[in-house]
Amino acid sequence: MSQDGEVTLLLRQWSDGQPDAMDRLFNVVYPELRQIAGALFRGEPPENLLQPTSVVNELFLKLIQQRSMRFEDREHFYSFSARLMRRVLVDQARNRKRQKRDGGFSVPLDESLVWIGAASVELVDLDRVLEELSALDARKCRIVELRFFLGFSAEETADLLNISKATVDRELKFVRGWMHERLNYSGA
Amino acid sequence: MLNELEDWDLLQRLFHLAESAPESSREQILDQQGVSPDLKQRVLRMVQGAELPPARSHDQPVAGKLGPYTLIRHIGAGGIGSVYLAERLMSGVPQRAALKVLAPHAAGPSFIERFHREQHILASLSHPHITRLLDAGVAEGGQPYLVMEYVDGVHFDDFCDARSLGVRERIALFLQICDAVAYAHRNLIVHLDLKPSNILVDGQGSVKLLDFGTSKLIHSGTLLTTTMLATPAYASPEQLRNEPVTTSCDVYSLGAILFDLLAGRRSAGKLSAALMFERAISEAEPENMPAAVTDDSAKLRGLSAARLRQVLAGDLETITNKCLRPRPKDRYPSVDALADDLKRYLAGRAVLAQPQTTFYRVSKFVRRNRASVAWLTLVLIALVASVGYAAWRQQQAINAGRRAMQMQAFMYRLFKLANSNYTGKPAATVPEFLALGARILPDYIKNPADLRQAQLGLAESMYETGDLDSAQKLFTQVAAEAKAENDIAAQAESEAFSGNIHYLNGEIDPGAALTANALKLSRQPGIPPSVRVWSAIYYAWGRDNNGFRSDENLSLLRYAVKEARRSNLSNRETADALFNLAEDLELRGLMQEAQDNFNQSLRLYGSDPAALCEQSAIYGELAFIKQQTGDLPGSAPLYRKAYDGYKTCSGPQSRGALTQQEFLAGVLLKTGSPEQALSMMEQAMPLWRKMLGTGPDLSEPLNFMILAELANNRFPQAEQHAAEMVAIQTGKVAATDRRFGVSHLLWARALIGQGRYREALPHAEIADRLLAMNAISAGAKQAGAEAHALLLDVQAKLQAQGSAVR
Repeated sequence: MSQDGEVTLLLRQWSDGQPDAMDRLFNVVYPELRQIAGALFRGEPPENLLQPTSVVNELFLKLIQQRSMRFEDREHFYSFSARLMRRVLVDQARNRKRQKRDGGFSVPLDESLVWIGAASVELVDLDRVLEELSALDARKCRIVELRFFLGFSAEETADLLNISKATVDRELKFVRGWMHERLNYSGA
Repeated sequence: MLNELEDWDLLQRLFHLAESAPESSREQILDQQGVSPDLKQRVLRMVQGAELPPARSHDQPVAGKLGPYTLIRHIGAGGIGSVYLAERLMSGVPQRAALKVLAPHAAGPSFIERFHREQHILASLSHPHITRLLDAGVAEGGQPYLVMEYVDGVHFDDFCDARSLGVRERIALFLQICDAVAYAHRNLIVHLDLKPSNILVDGQGSVKLLDFGTSKLIHSGTLLTTTMLATPAYASPEQLRNEPVTTSCDVYSLGAILFDLLAGRRSAGKLSAALMFERAISEAEPENMPAAVTDDSAKLRGLSAARLRQVLAGDLETITNKCLRPRPKDRYPSVDALADDLKRYLAGRAVLAQPQTTFYRVSKFVRRNRASVAWLTLVLIALVASVGYAAWRQQQAINAGRRAMQMQAFMYRLFKLANSNYTGKPAATVPEFLALGARILPDYIKNPADLRQAQLGLAESMYETGDLDSAQKLFTQVAAEAKAENDIAAQAESEAFSGNIHYLNGEIDPGAALTANALKLSRQPGIPPSVRVWSAIYYAWGRDNNGFRSDENLSLLRYAVKEARRSNLSNRETADALFNLAEDLELRGLMQEAQDNFNQSLRLYGSDPAALCEQSAIYGELAFIKQQTGDLPGSAPLYRKAYDGYKTCSGPQSRGALTQQEFLAGVLLKTGSPEQALSMMEQAMPLWRKMLGTGPDLSEPLNFMILAELANNRFPQAEQHAAEMVAIQTGKVAATDRRFGVSHLLWARALIGQGRYREALPHAEIADRLLAMNAISAGAKQAGAEAHALLLDVQAKLQAQGSAVR
């Protein structure tokens, strides 16, 4: 892992508006998480897979082992973590798909993501649709990331983004419908 | 195709429109919006897609074999694998077991070796509440698995909720868990993933813990950590930080389970891994357990939310918190210690988790012996509650908040009740106990600023119980120390009280000086509002009562009320401020405004039984105002209320009760019930004599006694009492005092009643002379006029007699 305090510094730079700090941040934390995710999912039939929450556990463990880590800007910190988890899981899926060449790999996500629909939906497609969503409506994308890649509850999501739980529920409902339609009917 | 960027808002609007409508009318609604058929279909598909599919059931039948085991169905998934109900034929008889399929990394490279190494320990774990680990293996294809005793039961928390078990029943079940965990710890096995879903209750109502020993078999290396074993909502901070794990981790998890078990899900929906990690890193103190109670969780425990909070606040919260401390050394040293404390709680004995302050032990004693609570105990509460009150005050400095406010109210109430409740025994030992408290206080509180706060609380308790000398000593000491340490708030508070005591002792100069300095100090920034309020009250009230009456005083008393309201001081303190203002207004003859403020004060004291004496005093004042404004019949029931209240709050022999009683008697005399008044005063006089001896204050009840005797034509008795009244005043009261005038007036009337006009004459002359002097108030003028009329009457009678004799 990186030197102590590096993550904190990068997070601060990122929240201070230096966009490349996010990339450097990824580079600091990402490789190790990929390794962990790889170990967790290697060669597993889906029902035996570890829950991705285990990866989340590990992510936080790595981050908080940075002794100087502070939760000064919680929204940035958790949004970053959610984005990171998304990338780790999607890359893991992409990697498996390459190895297996069968394309039939189902999404090893938190059970909360069952709503995405058919088991055949691939995380890679999901990722692409989320990119689209992010361009259309960044906040909705952030809600999805926090909620389903980081395991935030609706209440926590609302708290962090400073909106009401009713808004979170309402927006998620819409996103659910939109993504479902996008993945299954719109030739995404 | 829809242009997303342009129509994103439209799409959301249509979606929500359709989604909130009944299915049958959706198409119609969308048609009314004039949308294209394509868009309509899209929105309808979205609405359909947004429906949550039914939760995936784990009880899916599966087919397959692992080693000698046949899988029957999937029954659960955890952090390190999935669990199946499985079956194995043993000598032709099918035996059921729970089979846990492990992710290979969790099993690690030498899984079977480890299993064999640990097997003798795991096999020796034989306990009625622990499910046994039966077997382990690696199937063809390299799939590692563990085999455990199968329990056909329900999750512990579901079991309790389904039966709406009460708090005590839940604790009793929880003790079974503690027993099992303690047993495993004695065998050097920690669980590391204790949580409600790992605890089942079988058909016999017996608790069964799952997964004991799993932690020993799990491979934790450099890449993967023990962290992943944990369920963050129940895992100790050190485990989440991947620090060395000990039995203390299980103590923490038990605390988390206990929290849920008693209060309901911890701050429902606030249990995600992220937040638990944040708590772990910041070493957050345990959440407030009573605050986590919801209406639903209370209902599942057969109580109202308010009642459940009440039950949890105190011991149960303390016990749970002691498990949930972020640092292992602050937790219970063992599960046995936790269980012992819970058993102490169930038995109503003092639990050890709480710091062993005198207050704590005593309040516990009181609760346990509620039926036979002795007077001594109440005195002890008065002592220790004041220490507790002080502890609250230290706490307030650290975390002012709702909870602290409740704590204050509670402490204040306790100590008020203890101070004011009628106990039927002399209160001589109250000061002794408070003095003891002052002596031992430094043993409990080491920080000088905290100690000052505690001493202030104690000194105020002494003041409340009337031990002015000891209170004065302590206030003076605290004031000096606070001054040396530049603790302005404590200095202001102690000098305000100290000055007030000087006033009460008739030491006007130091009283005026200290209250003035306190007022000045209290105006500096950062002084707590209650200190500002009381400094103003003591300054103004002291001056108004001791010859420095000014408008400034009145506006200070008004300020105190305003400030108490503005700063949201407790109802009680605001009521006190109103009371003081009203009394001052009454003193100034502003009866209407005084009455209004008394009534407001009365409302704020509400039905607080600890404020019964204050409420009774107000009834007395309201009665007095009615009396002054000529409504005698209206004042009698108010005096009676005041009398009854004092009888309850401080006893029928208390000065407060006897005073209200004599006022009531005074009104009864004038409203046509002289017999009743006389019998009241005849009962009261021995009590007054016991209380006051032959001090000059006895002249007041004697006054009412004589009035009652005169009204009932008991002239010889009245004569005797009037003579006594003069005797006790002689040498104690200035020879020109109006009080002598009253005594002689009564004496004269007693003699006149017996036709002894000549003897009555000198008394009537003295009364006329003294009562004519300084008659400023209406009452005094009336007395002066009465005395003069009496003198004229006596003179006339004597003249008539004289002419008759001549």
